Amino acid sequence: MVSKRFIAKRLLLLVPVLFGVATVVFAILHLAPGDPARVILGQRAPTQQVVQLRRELGLNDPIWVQYGRFLADTAQLDFGQSYQIAKGSPVWDVLADRLPVTIELAIYGQITAILLGIPLGVLSAVKQDSLTDHVTRIGALTGISVPIFWSGPLVLLVFATFLGWLPTSGRIGSTFFLEDHWVLFGTQLPLTGMVSIDTFILDTGAFVQSILYGEGLGAFASLTEYYASFISAVQHLLLPVLTLGIYSMALLSRMMRSSMLEVIRQDYIRTARAKGQGERITILKHGLRNALIPVITVIGIQFGTLLGGAVLTETVFGIGGIGQLLVAAIGATDYPLVQGTVLVFALLFTLVNLGVDVTYSYLDPRIQQ
Amino acid sequence: MARYDPLLAWFRRRLRLVATAGAVGIVLGGIAAVVIAVLDDPTTASTQTFAIGTLAFGFGILGWSGSALAGRSIEGLQRRLDTNSDWTERDSRRAMTRLSGFGAGVMAGVVIVTPLLP
Repeated sequence: MVSKRFIAKRLLLLVPVLFGVATVVFAILHLAPGDPARVILGQRAPTQQVVQLRRELGLNDPIWVQYGRFLADTAQLDFGQSYQIAKGSPVWDVLADRLPVTIELAIYGQITAILLGIPLGVLSAVKQDSLTDHVTRIGALTGISVPIFWSGPLVLLVFATFLGWLPTSGRIGSTFFLEDHWVLFGTQLPLTGMVSIDTFILDTGAFVQSILYGEGLGAFASLTEYYASFISAVQHLLLPVLTLGIYSMALLSRMMRSSMLEVIRQDYIRTARAKGQGERITILKHGLRNALIPVITVIGIQFGTLLGGAVLTETVFGIGGIGQLLVAAIGATDYPLVQGTVLVFALLFTLVNLGVDVTYSYLDPRIQQ
Repeated sequence: MARYDPLLAWFRRRLRLVATAGAVGIVLGGIAAVVIAVLDDPTTASTQTFAIGTLAFGFGILGWSGSALAGRSIEGLQRRLDTNSDWTERDSRRAMTRLSGFGAGVMAGVVIVTPLLP
């Protein structure tokens, strides 16, 4: 059981993290060259107009007044309005549109890394110094060493250009239209913004409707047609997810191997074997759970890397997520959008780490001490 | 003989850590603002020096809370990957406390000096 005190302490630590991020973002944006008023009005705008806009935006106030106002607004989750990218739109609305895209990418990237990295690490540890172990270790080292801006174009070149198996960019085929709601028993419900989940919901709705009111069980014969948009969405996701997952997978497998090697030398594993327990049960039941504790910690830390990686992945694969938005906002000196995006990234990262802390304190209650 | 109060001692140690760094920050921040004001203009001096102080302050806060949140995990990670660099959560928190104290000092120094700038 995870104690409430432990969770409360972790939640309290989120406050200085977010305060620190907000402060650093404020400082960097004020040290960067460029006048936001000039950016909004354009380089040829009359100086008088620029001066007036500076006054309206409060940019003529002393910097500590601006800092105080920025902190007060941020505390109320008011990031203001976008100057350039989505002129006049509240930053929250812009972020709400793009955030699910990045979250979807990061979650699938993480799942890929976990599903491949952990079994590979266990296998490598159990078969220490065998050919499997060597191949896995070399693979892991390569995965850690290759940056996303290189592996992204490489997988694009191989799987999209040379082999032609998967699409090069975008979130879904151009023949499909992404709805923003779905209808259940006459009620309009909002969709998640995550293309794989949304298309699955919509396609399933159409499929079930066809079974109930149309073709009946004959609909199963054309199952792939009903799920065409979902299949397209998954095909579009595969390469970005693979690119994003490779690095994380490599690190997890290396961590898992090291942790598992340590655990399988423990006395309780020897005792389990001495009792006559099968090797598979000994490894999976006694070894895996204990070896997972440090790996779970790394999964949390890795989520931040995945979010950072999403910035590059989205740019390489032309996916309109929060990462691509951040790159565009920095290029256009859109201060409020940059501030909002970075703070949301920080919030996501800290919340995921809170989840990880709770998970590993559940796995090993001693950690709460 | 004065009675030893552990809470007071705990507080004093931390206060000394922040206050010494803060005092250095006030002096350096003030000097930097004056020098930049002489070379450039007072508004730029105030803005740039304060922003640098904010950067140090924010980075310190972020580093401190990051160390408190994930420091033990990073120690464990280094140990398991055999990349131990003698980095510890405690040392990191101390360093970050000094850094944020220095940043806050610079910010305060700029606020004090700005009305006096030519």
